[in-house]
Amino acid sequence: MTEFGPVTGIVGKVLITLSFLFCLLSLIYYFLAARGEDDKKLKIGNWMFVFKGLFMIAASAILVMLIFQHQFQYYYVFNYTSLDLAPKYLFSAFYGGQEGSFMLWILFSWIAGLGLMRWTRAPYKAPVLFFLGLTQFFLISMIVGWRFGDFTLGASPFRTIAEEMPNAPFIQANPDFVPADGTGLNDLLKSPWMMIHPPILFVGFAMMTIPYCFAMAALWKRKYNEWVSPALPWTLGSNLSLLTAIFLGGYWAYVTLSFGGFWAWDPVENASLVPWLIGTAGIHTMIIQRKSSVAQKSSLIFAILAYVAIVYETFLTRSGILADSSVHSFVDLGLYNQLLIFMLVITGLGLGMFAWRYKELPSPEKESKILSREFMTFTGAVLLFVLGLVIILGTSSPILGLLFNENPTPPEISFYNDWSMPIAIVMALFTVIGQYLFWKKYDLETLATALVYPLLITSILTIASVIIGEVRNAYYMLYLFAGFFAIVGNSWVLGRLSLQNPKLIGGSLTHVGFGLLLVGILASSAYNRPLLDKNTEDYNEAVLRGEITDPQGFRVSQTIDMLELKLNQPKLINNQYWVTYEGYDLSNQNRPGQQTYKIRFDNTDGKFLYYLYPEVYPMLATSNAENVNWSVDPDVRTGLMSDIYLYVAGSSFVEDRNEQIEKRNAVQPASDQVEEQVQTLKFQKGETKEVGSFRFSFVDFVQADSVNLPPNTSIGIRARVEVFHEPSGQLNIIEPLFAIFMEGDQNYVMSPPVNLTSHELSFQFSKVNPEDSSIELEILGLDEVYEDDWVLVVAEKKPFISVVWAGTFLLMGGFSISIFRHWGRERSKQTEVIS
Amino acid sequence: MKPKVILGIIAIVAFTSLLMYNFGESISTYTDFEKAKEMSNAHVPGTWDNSQDYGFSKETMQFTFYMIDESGESRKVIYPRPKPNNFEEADRLVVIGEMRGDVFFANEMLMKCPSKYNNADPSEYVKASES
Repeated sequence: MTEFGPVTGIVGKVLITLSFLFCLLSLIYYFLAARGEDDKKLKIGNWMFVFKGLFMIAASAILVMLIFQHQFQYYYVFNYTSLDLAPKYLFSAFYGGQEGSFMLWILFSWIAGLGLMRWTRAPYKAPVLFFLGLTQFFLISMIVGWRFGDFTLGASPFRTIAEEMPNAPFIQANPDFVPADGTGLNDLLKSPWMMIHPPILFVGFAMMTIPYCFAMAALWKRKYNEWVSPALPWTLGSNLSLLTAIFLGGYWAYVTLSFGGFWAWDPVENASLVPWLIGTAGIHTMIIQRKSSVAQKSSLIFAILAYVAIVYETFLTRSGILADSSVHSFVDLGLYNQLLIFMLVITGLGLGMFAWRYKELPSPEKESKILSREFMTFTGAVLLFVLGLVIILGTSSPILGLLFNENPTPPEISFYNDWSMPIAIVMALFTVIGQYLFWKKYDLETLATALVYPLLITSILTIASVIIGEVRNAYYMLYLFAGFFAIVGNSWVLGRLSLQNPKLIGGSLTHVGFGLLLVGILASSAYNRPLLDKNTEDYNEAVLRGEITDPQGFRVSQTIDMLELKLNQPKLINNQYWVTYEGYDLSNQNRPGQQTYKIRFDNTDGKFLYYLYPEVYPMLATSNAENVNWSVDPDVRTGLMSDIYLYVAGSSFVEDRNEQIEKRNAVQPASDQVEEQVQTLKFQKGETKEVGSFRFSFVDFVQADSVNLPPNTSIGIRARVEVFHEPSGQLNIIEPLFAIFMEGDQNYVMSPPVNLTSHELSFQFSKVNPEDSSIELEILGLDEVYEDDWVLVVAEKKPFISVVWAGTFLLMGGFSISIFRHWGRERSKQTEVIS
Repeated sequence: MKPKVILGIIAIVAFTSLLMYNFGESISTYTDFEKAKEMSNAHVPGTWDNSQDYGFSKETMQFTFYMIDESGESRKVIYPRPKPNNFEEADRLVVIGEMRGDVFFANEMLMKCPSKYNNADPSEYVKASES
């Protein structure tokens, strides 16, 4: 295999090179075909285009084969896979790295090109394919891996370890060195959600290229109206894909990561949101352009900018610029200059063509009235675009922040929230008015009459949720009102439309979804509460009042948002649940070394609710015998009204394991402590504790007979304790005494030791805690140290996450319905042309 | 020019200025521990100082470690949450918070981990296979 290996890599490189050359050739033919409207050249171009993709498929197949054969001499295989990886993750490793993800993007873009070839009509066909080919030309150039002296064009997925790091000592010693195993895939990414997320995202990226190509073709061929109809279904499809990808990414982050949310305004997340926003803006203007022949300019510019946003965000996330500000941007592969040129060419061509044709672009003869569907839809599009710009500005902080200081940090999260909230409020209000006007003409008076009932219902809903949800913030109230208005008003339109023509409900359905999304986002983020016990709650309140100081005298400003649970000791949480830690399970785990913790929830009446099973496991890729990196996997209890999100932040098991590892690593092995010492154990009534082979149970308090008590005794009590020795099966009951008596002015404690001679143990009843009627026993003579079994959990209650998902699903559903409608109309147009 | 156009331009300029002003306010500058003493919400990048003790204390519910900033100063950092996943693996940390005396209280901490997107160091891998 190792002898065969190097050849395979060269074949792969050659295939990518061929694909690159055929792409270039097809570009030339498409250009000539577009300029001269020459069908023969177009046909040749198409053949080149087809071959380009076939070569890329072959190259991808080779990469997948190398991954499955574990050919670790290839850097890509070595860096993203390992021997123990399951086949499904081996396959997804194909697009797990930057080079492979470019290949996947090219493949999807190529498939979209085949569709265009089949369905696009003249005069757009050749120029559309030309621009599509141009974007693919840049994408393929990222992975060709040609070397010209010091400059390398692209990073080949087929480069070997020796090519990647010629100066590494082990390569210098042996240039044919092949590692025995790869570094593997990050455990957090071993999730089915993460397997399907990238393909869906790249389908979206590939489809968003098409409105760009159509807009460019329209500008080239000076046909500014007809392009919208064929471009619209692609844009809708792209938006559906991007939305699905964003949803999958958010859902994965929520159930896998420990930050406990679905959105963090991370640049990588923004990279898929911004094209979605601008694409949606484009969909709005395209729809009114198709209906009323207005907004040609804005349709063109949004179609161009949506793709420019994709390329710009690709540049940001893949060039290494964001290394400091994003938790998960890609590593810099030295593609900075290539990506920059790609971005500049796409942007320059787009905006240049637009500026060049600007003068002759059609303008509306008269301006639209404010109360018209054209004006409302257009305003909606502009708001979406502005929101996209705000997010781009925030994401570009490493570049644009240089205007303000030399070493800029990303903006605070509040920057995004402060700007998106008012924009969202206006958008929500406009969706309803826009939807009403979209289907019927109204003037101010008739519109007001038509909106009476929706407004009434909205007000009731808002007031009800303000009261039930204890909303104190006036701004939130306004936001809630806008959100509910979008839900109610659009549902009204939806209801009416579904009676008349259900095929047309796509738009109103998406707008209902948007309203749900707004309400869900506010409820789940602003009213997200940690689950805490009373003591911690009181402490946190005191911290917020500024009453707590640390030993150095500084004011403590940080609240505690964690919960400690001891084995089988229920804790009352938020006055709402009894939460009990019931132990952990080490057997039958899907990851080696994983613990599954069992956390029980009961309601305050003692009625059993459910178990949560958070997990802790060693990160395989980065752990070894000397150093284990623990990773957590939260568990989420999903509910209609609220979710409980919980993960184990620490446990006695993990602490013990770490101590063992430390001891093993210590140069001098610590001597085993068999030293006898007194241990103090705390017992609740009825509680049993196990130490080595003994089991101690505190059964109950027993009255002490006054005969043996000193005079002036204020308290005199015995504890009945069962001592069970497992190996011998012997059960002993002891009743040590605890008494407080006065002598002179002073209180003294009397707690005479009780000896259990059969096991050489001695007991002293040393303390009573009246507040929880627990006792403390001092035990002498035990060989083993009692260890508490505890977990530290971070738990949060998140209201109405379900509404966020519901809103997202409605958006997806609405987009899907619209795709079918617009696609169906396009298809019927084509059959008309052919027949 | 038509009054509508002038109004539009004024609105755009006003919006843009407000946006840029707010943007400028909401970004901060990366700094070091020494300069962070004069700041209320400082972003300090650095690396974990693994020569010193670190760990989570159940008593104080805090994670404590030492970090070396980019000027080479090592300072104690207190973070009021559990030790994050992959803490030891992070090749770069950014702590956000304030200095109190010689201790940095981090309200937030970002970690740059060598995840699947990043280069792993193969020399380390080789050592592991030899052992």
